[in-house]
Amino acid sequence: MLAHQMALESPMIEAEMVEAMEFPELSNRFHVSGVPQTTINAGAGTVVGAVPEDQLLKEIQRAIAK
Amino acid sequence: MTEKMLNDDITRQVTEFFQQLQEPVEVLYFGRKDDCDYCDDTRLLLEELVETSDKLALNTYDLDDDAGLAEQYRVDKAPGIVIAGRDGDQILDYGIRYSGIPAGSEFSSLINTMVLVSSRDSGLDPQTRQVLAGLKKPVHLQVFVTPT
Repeated sequence: MLAHQMALESPMIEAEMVEAMEFPELSNRFHVSGVPQTTINAGAGTVVGAVPEDQLLKEIQRAIAK
Repeated sequence: MTEKMLNDDITRQVTEFFQQLQEPVEVLYFGRKDDCDYCDDTRLLLEELVETSDKLALNTYDLDDDAGLAEQYRVDKAPGIVIAGRDGDQILDYGIRYSGIPAGSEFSSLINTMVLVSSRDSGLDPQTRQVLAGLKKPVHLQVFVTPT
């Protein structure tokens, strides 16, 4: 839901909810072990669990600064 | 008679929940004919959902037959769902997607996201909005979830 809120807010953000068991190849590639897991720009950043918006925002900033 | 995806009780609750819908919401569904275990169920689920409110509309596409459109919306999985807005003839794509069947707890996420899109307001903190407004690079968030 938070990811979708961010997508709605920013034209730069796309947010895709992925049903992990239907797409095991992708889940394996990003080493999904617990859900929800948020992967940023194909692995540039990762957040495990449901986190507050400032925390996801920080990880997004860290991931795109790379 | 085919089995319904949503029973009468759920349909009633969803209909009531969708009273909060404000602006039109356009759902784009992309399925695939072969090798897609959850496509039919997902399409049926969406068909039943959009029946519960006149603010909701569904367009059904095929990932292969409508490859150009799928590319335009960057949908590469089936079932793939785009939850967009509509303003007259224009589809407002906010980059909101579901890949896979939105069942179980994801069903609740789906109907909440529809209400979110219909509000056209993210509801995020002012500080978050400020930082997001300054984003210079595209960000693709993929949130892995399971239906339970």
